[in-house]
Amino acid sequence: MRSRVVVTGLGIVSPIGIGVSDFWKAALAGQSGISAITSFDPFPMDGYRSKVAGQVRDFAVERFVDSAHGERVDRYAQFALVASKEALADSGLQMAKENPHRVGVIVGAGMGGMVMGEREITQLYQQQKPHRVHPNFIPVITLNSASGIIAMAYGAKGPNLTISTACSSSAHALGQALHSIREGRADVVITVGADASITPLVFAGFCSLRALSSKFNDHPEKASRPFDRLRDGFIMGEGAGTLILESAAHAKKRKARVYAEIAGYAATSEAYHMVIPREDGLEVAHTMRLALADAGVTPAQVDYINAHATSTTIGDAVEVRAIRRLFKSCADKITISATKSLIGHTLGAAGAIGGIASVLALHTGQIHPTANYDDPDPACALAGLSRSAQERRVKVALLNAFGFGSNNAAVVFKHVKRET
Amino acid sequence: MATDPSISLKIRTALAEYLKRDSATILTTQHLRDDLGLDSMAVIELLYRIEEAFDLQIPDQDLVGLTNVGHVVSYVEKRLEKTASAAPTKKPAKPSKPKGKKKS
Repeated sequence: MRSRVVVTGLGIVSPIGIGVSDFWKAALAGQSGISAITSFDPFPMDGYRSKVAGQVRDFAVERFVDSAHGERVDRYAQFALVASKEALADSGLQMAKENPHRVGVIVGAGMGGMVMGEREITQLYQQQKPHRVHPNFIPVITLNSASGIIAMAYGAKGPNLTISTACSSSAHALGQALHSIREGRADVVITVGADASITPLVFAGFCSLRALSSKFNDHPEKASRPFDRLRDGFIMGEGAGTLILESAAHAKKRKARVYAEIAGYAATSEAYHMVIPREDGLEVAHTMRLALADAGVTPAQVDYINAHATSTTIGDAVEVRAIRRLFKSCADKITISATKSLIGHTLGAAGAIGGIASVLALHTGQIHPTANYDDPDPACALAGLSRSAQERRVKVALLNAFGFGSNNAAVVFKHVKRET
Repeated sequence: MATDPSISLKIRTALAEYLKRDSATILTTQHLRDDLGLDSMAVIELLYRIEEAFDLQIPDQDLVGLTNVGHVVSYVEKRLEKTASAAPTKKPAKPSKPKGKKKS
């Protein structure tokens, strides 16, 4: 029989709070972390169609982690370090007592070290001085810099992987961590999602894709509005989330507090289009079905869905169509919320942060609101959506994450009684 | 120009900033790796800062001799001196900073 895998620690850096306690309080209150981008120093925002984002304010890495690690990496990896430090402390795991080769790190990151990346590229092209490219440029932009630095910070010598599947990166990180532990390759996996690429070039790129909201530049807190009739695109966010996954037996042995079980995962490709989902929702429904089967639960048992719901016109409608397709008459009995309504779309971090919201829903019985769900779009109507916080004893939660490149992921969490 | 004390100070200040310590505690006799704890990557970062501070390019073949603070100081002094007198650099190999647009 395959090992059961549980979540024993959580950590987060988000636009509505650094630290799980602050994040969750703000999330339940429906607080928006979306604000105006005042400038991409040195130039103003005039040329950008969208001018708002979910920014992590006042983040100074040295307040949280050893400078030997924090200062050697880009902002996204700094977020990852800080979230992982909190999650490890929260889990009570003591690395000194662990076999380091049985502790892995799996990170999902969509864009990577774009802060330094853009700066160095700009300077090189402007100044044409190749010898002035920073020696840390390559180590910093290498996409596994976050998983590497976390391993170094904590001496985790097990499997060390980075998964980059755009907006579903860290949902896949959760799934691959689940597999690693199930297969007996690790006892513990520090599972992370991180991205911080609200940078001049990346932001311009998403603007040019016409993927971002532009109607609410004067009211940033209203801009991210999944499932609402007035939604007009996603809002870029940044942040990191870490979940400590470990085998139930390992957690039991060290008497760890268990938040939830991570019980199922599915990964598929629509093999359809780089940025557009199939409108019939067939593949999304299939992905959710596979994840539920992997977890050994039926659609009727699902209490809560943490929707991918980015606030794009097509994406939200497709997800609802897929939910109706799979859950049929049960669809309106499921409580649903969209974390991106609060913090924007944190790209590679979105799966992990949605995972944290799912785990907290299972653990606390509280479900955060979907902000700005003021005027339900009939194409997205589901009875379980609300702009207020909801209470429900959640036994099974489903996390959706879909990414550019035509890829889909779904993860299933289950409630765990006090004793594992 | 040859023994400009500001060169030594600039280098020790760059080191102090990198190591987050008082420049007064950095001595020219100190070994970059054994005394100051710089690993090979850190030495490369330090030289990157020094190249910027003195507007120099330090070729790979010159790195070998730069093992303590004093070596770095005297190397920079010599390079600046030679740049000032527009003479070729000390190594038998190609001069380290070819002028003009010539490719090497």
